[in-house]
Amino acid sequence: MSSQKHEFIDAVKAGTVLVKKCTKCGHQHLATVYFCQKCGNKGFENESLPGTGTVATYTIITVPPAGFEKYTPYAWVVMNVDGHDLRVSGFLPKIATPADLPVGTRVRIVGYDDRGIILEKQ
Amino acid sequence: MSFTFVEKVCVLGAGSTKYGKLDDSITDITIQASVGAIESAGIDPKKIEAGYISNVFGIADKQVHLGPVIMSNLGIPEKPSLSIESACGSGSVSFREAFANVAAGFYDAVLVAGVEKVTHTGTEWTTTYFSYCSDFFYEGGAGASFPGLFASMARAYLTEFKATEEDLARVAVKNHDNGMLNPKAHLRKKITVDDVMKSAVVASPLKLYDCCPFSDGASAVILCSEKFAKEHSKDYVQVIGSGRGGSPATLQGRDHMTTIPSTKLAAEAAYKMAGITPKDIDFAEVHDCFTIAEVVDTEDLGFFAKGTGVQAVREGKTALNGEIPINPSGGLKAKGHPIGATGVGQVVEVFDQLTGKAGERTVKDAKIGLTHNFGATGASCAVHIFKSV
Repeated sequence: MSSQKHEFIDAVKAGTVLVKKCTKCGHQHLATVYFCQKCGNKGFENESLPGTGTVATYTIITVPPAGFEKYTPYAWVVMNVDGHDLRVSGFLPKIATPADLPVGTRVRIVGYDDRGIILEKQ
Repeated sequence: MSFTFVEKVCVLGAGSTKYGKLDDSITDITIQASVGAIESAGIDPKKIEAGYISNVFGIADKQVHLGPVIMSNLGIPEKPSLSIESACGSGSVSFREAFANVAAGFYDAVLVAGVEKVTHTGTEWTTTYFSYCSDFFYEGGAGASFPGLFASMARAYLTEFKATEEDLARVAVKNHDNGMLNPKAHLRKKITVDDVMKSAVVASPLKLYDCCPFSDGASAVILCSEKFAKEHSKDYVQVIGSGRGGSPATLQGRDHMTTIPSTKLAAEAAYKMAGITPKDIDFAEVHDCFTIAEVVDTEDLGFFAKGTGVQAVREGKTALNGEIPINPSGGLKAKGHPIGATGVGQVVEVFDQLTGKAGERTVKDAKIGLTHNFGATGASCAVHIFKSV
């Protein structure tokens, strides 16, 4: 795995989102990008954002891919990061029905394991 | 980007196996569809100058590097071929590359064949392997199945617009109605909104009948210059528009969850090349891997304003006898979705429709048809526009 991904995962384990901010235009990307998607610049500076936000959208999965059977049902969530035009998706355990997780619910990053980024309701 | 045709490009012949659970091997079914296309075109296979094969999971049936196997079986082992993989969009992406080569004058006639053979592997294998088509680090690896990714788009759509799960169900009911009229469709079964609503939840809010099936199947067409077409058959259609586009590979990378950027880009390019607008399209075969996808597609293709696609379905505008019939073949939902074949299969349907071979499901007075096919959650997309001659 690339060093960028390791850095990103280390940040997630600390409950934060590592962002690459373009030194030219300021556009923010998740850590795994090599050229700015807005202006093409190659220079970035690291920015650490708190891993908190709201549910942008989600699903509750009942027919899982291999390796996820023991966690089923679970939610997979796209989270709006607080205060930024940036989204992060991840795994949210122990959610059984849509009533448990309306769009807009506050969630936060709590870790990283074999399920990827782990989120929790705040 | 401007575009100049060296040659006008035509579809001269088309063939397809039935879609569904097939016993024959991946090579057998590709050959069956290819022979069908060659016979439909009425040409000597030796006139084919190259082969474009689209496939994703050949490894599941112990055959990758399909091209030379197919060409050898068609009696033309000396002709070049290649395989193209772009997830569920492989067929249309491959068709586009073939189109570009014929339009540029490199070849007079080529075979475009798409195939998939996965049903023998079981639901867990397919769900897992299909999830590799996403940006796996962020999505598949965090438990997002494909139904889950489209379910997330559906949840966003239901939250943002005046739409209900019943509206999505109506898309499935309509496509099953069309599939009843297609002898080659995978699911030939009439269903009701109630059936959809009561089917098992796969990834909320999507239920089993909101999802297309995993299918086996192969489809093939002969693509050629207009001059070649005129010399060989009366039954051909012209490709008047071709467009491609891309989207951020992940859903999290997109500003909106209720639109697919690559569809808009591909459609815009195809309409521009054809010199027409969405209003000129008589019918369309669109990528309805899930019911929500068809709604989003018909909006992104410019047939309906954003948020009103469900209203159009409710009013019957997309039905076979509606204002703009969508998926007269039954679509991925009922006709089936052998992922490497689907984009080519859409062209087969348009060819059949525009040359009077669509039988009971013929769209009345149709002259211009559109195909729209994408890979994954629309990370890659191709749109083509066809006109009867």
